[in-house]
Amino acid sequence: MLIAIVFLLVSGVYLAVNARLARAGREVLTLEERRTELLRLTSELSAELASRTAPETMIARAANLGFHAAGPEDVLFITIDGYVPPSDFIAPRPPAPDDEGQAMLSPAYTETLGDWLMRWIGSPGGSS
Amino acid sequence: MNQEGVTRRRIRFVLILMGSAVAALVLQLVRVQFGPYAPVFAARAEYGASQVEKVVPARGRIYDRNGNLLASNATMFYLEIEVRQLTERSKKEIPLTLSKLLVLPLEDLYTQLTTDWAAVGQFRIRMTRKDANGNPWPVTVDKTVAEVLNGFLADPLAPDLSGLDLVAAPKRTYPAGTVAGHVLGFVNQEGQGFYGVEGYYDEWLSGKPITIHRPFIPLEARLQPDPPAGVNLVLTLDLAIQQMVETALREAIESSLAESGQVIVMDPRNGEILAMAAWPVLDPNRYEPWLPDANREDEGNPVITPGVAGTFEPGSTFKVLTMAAALELDRVEPETEFIDTGQIEVGGHTIRNWDGRSWGQQTMIGCLEHSLNVCLAWIASDRLGSTDLYSSLGQFGIGQLTGVDMAGEVSGEMRTPRDPDWTEPDLGTNSFGQGVSVTPMQLLTAVSAIANHGDMVQPHIVRQVVGPQGAYWPQPTVLGRPISRQTADTLTDMLAQSLEGETRYASVAGYRLAGKTGTAQIATEKGYDPKWTVASFIGWGPLPEPRFLVLVRIDKPATAPWGSVIAAPVFQEIAERLVVMMGIPPDPTGEQAAVGG
Repeated sequence: MLIAIVFLLVSGVYLAVNARLARAGREVLTLEERRTELLRLTSELSAELASRTAPETMIARAANLGFHAAGPEDVLFITIDGYVPPSDFIAPRPPAPDDEGQAMLSPAYTETLGDWLMRWIGSPGGSS
Repeated sequence: MNQEGVTRRRIRFVLILMGSAVAALVLQLVRVQFGPYAPVFAARAEYGASQVEKVVPARGRIYDRNGNLLASNATMFYLEIEVRQLTERSKKEIPLTLSKLLVLPLEDLYTQLTTDWAAVGQFRIRMTRKDANGNPWPVTVDKTVAEVLNGFLADPLAPDLSGLDLVAAPKRTYPAGTVAGHVLGFVNQEGQGFYGVEGYYDEWLSGKPITIHRPFIPLEARLQPDPPAGVNLVLTLDLAIQQMVETALREAIESSLAESGQVIVMDPRNGEILAMAAWPVLDPNRYEPWLPDANREDEGNPVITPGVAGTFEPGSTFKVLTMAAALELDRVEPETEFIDTGQIEVGGHTIRNWDGRSWGQQTMIGCLEHSLNVCLAWIASDRLGSTDLYSSLGQFGIGQLTGVDMAGEVSGEMRTPRDPDWTEPDLGTNSFGQGVSVTPMQLLTAVSAIANHGDMVQPHIVRQVVGPQGAYWPQPTVLGRPISRQTADTLTDMLAQSLEGETRYASVAGYRLAGKTGTAQIATEKGYDPKWTVASFIGWGPLPEPRFLVLVRIDKPATAPWGSVIAAPVFQEIAERLVVMMGIPPDPTGEQAAVGG
């Protein structure tokens, strides 16, 4: 009877752990899909923003508001002491590639009892 | 009712319940195994617990120097058909729906769906359409149409589209449309870059795809590694200047009823290309008409990025190089006199001025001001000789690639005495830009040595390369020093003086500019075209420290043939706007303003 109860308890723990792992795995898959979708969306929105502020569009809008392109006769140049021109544009960095080791889950989550035993036996002091 | 009867009924009820559940499971198994979606499940089973997937990184973005986005990525959808899922109804309703939504020929779509693909072992096809030349192209739809089709697929009351599958794929998008299209080039549906920046930096932009095992089982799920992404590029282009230059070029083409044209604006100090316009414009979002067609002759195919790939005989703009060579070797001085009789014989070939007139006594400044072919042919044949002339032109890079970082550059052609087909009359005609072909970029680079006090800097279009590790700024490369600073400044001064006499259409009040017009005949297989010309102008300023160098080329203008009438005003219009957009104040001395204006 005691053996059956212990067996049931271990089975229960095993099932609970696996259920949590499966849930976490499902979440990983979902988040990956979401990340891909968000990256795609970001890219599309940037392009749309750029398209809405394209020079041709802005020139047409400016013309509608009554502006015209400035010629040399429209411009007065003045010298401002201490003026610092804006710094050069630097493009955003593309994402750095993760190497496979970093991308995987920690062994703490994936190591089996057998793996742990083998590692423990193989280690110099016989301990982890 | 006794207790035993109740128990039996309960057991029977539980058995019926369990039996029903088992029957439902068996029914579902049968449906999965033999139902309409059986091939999909079967295909999925073939993958096993994971699917081997090629992950392609997002292609790097391209910006102008001020951070305006020029090239980015969006999503398109291929229309694919899972042949085994087609029903008799969907075979009719898919073509009908697509034909209406995408304005495609119904017959063609219907034929694709009713072909017996299984007979050739194909169970998944990609829908195609035919272009103007009859070549098949995959049908792609954007996000909006994809949403409509997905809505139909999910709605049982909508047309039956069973078997249709929308497969997402990355698509290159160019938010500025046609602006800088020739500079950027384009990316095809397979993600490969062609021409311009996209072609030259294709490997860097596209990154490195990797292969991963994507698990279907949640327990096996792992964070997948990202593939090495493509770099982002910042160009030397200024989008506002580019737009302004394109507008000026378009207006000039329209008003002169010309066939085509190009304008390049460069900073001669560092070789940065600020703008590079070409007409007809190329929309990289719709590049199909620009693809080479094997059925057309080479000459019938449009030239993409003509600024580096379109050669022409430069005509009189080339005279500045001949004059530079003669000044550098001390064979002439600005005040050297020449008596122009209206013609000169070189190698048995008689050369005449553009107007057939004799202009009498002239200085070298006058030779440039009146653009006298006879004078330049005299310099080449009498003062320089073939060895010195071609050696100097070689130092200016004529007949060689500039190495500009855009795909498709060609070198032009210059025959020298070492070539078997060179003849002595070439010495005379080459001196004023006839019988020699250059690209606009090549001519601009050569003349940049004069504008930049003797240093010829390599032209370039990429200002900054940004990878995951950080930003890299390519440094300007000096290609050579074909002439000394003194020669360069002397010639610039001569051209500033001559420009005022040559055309009143190339000055800007308050700024001193130098430049030279060009009117070149067009070489054909049967000799020079008697009707059409290439009108051009190359100019720089403001003096004495030029910040821009502009080349204008207009092909086959119908209203007038002359560079002074057709191309010089375009330069003037561009220069007037450049000084404002680049924040260049006018020269405070009245003397310099007067020369320019």
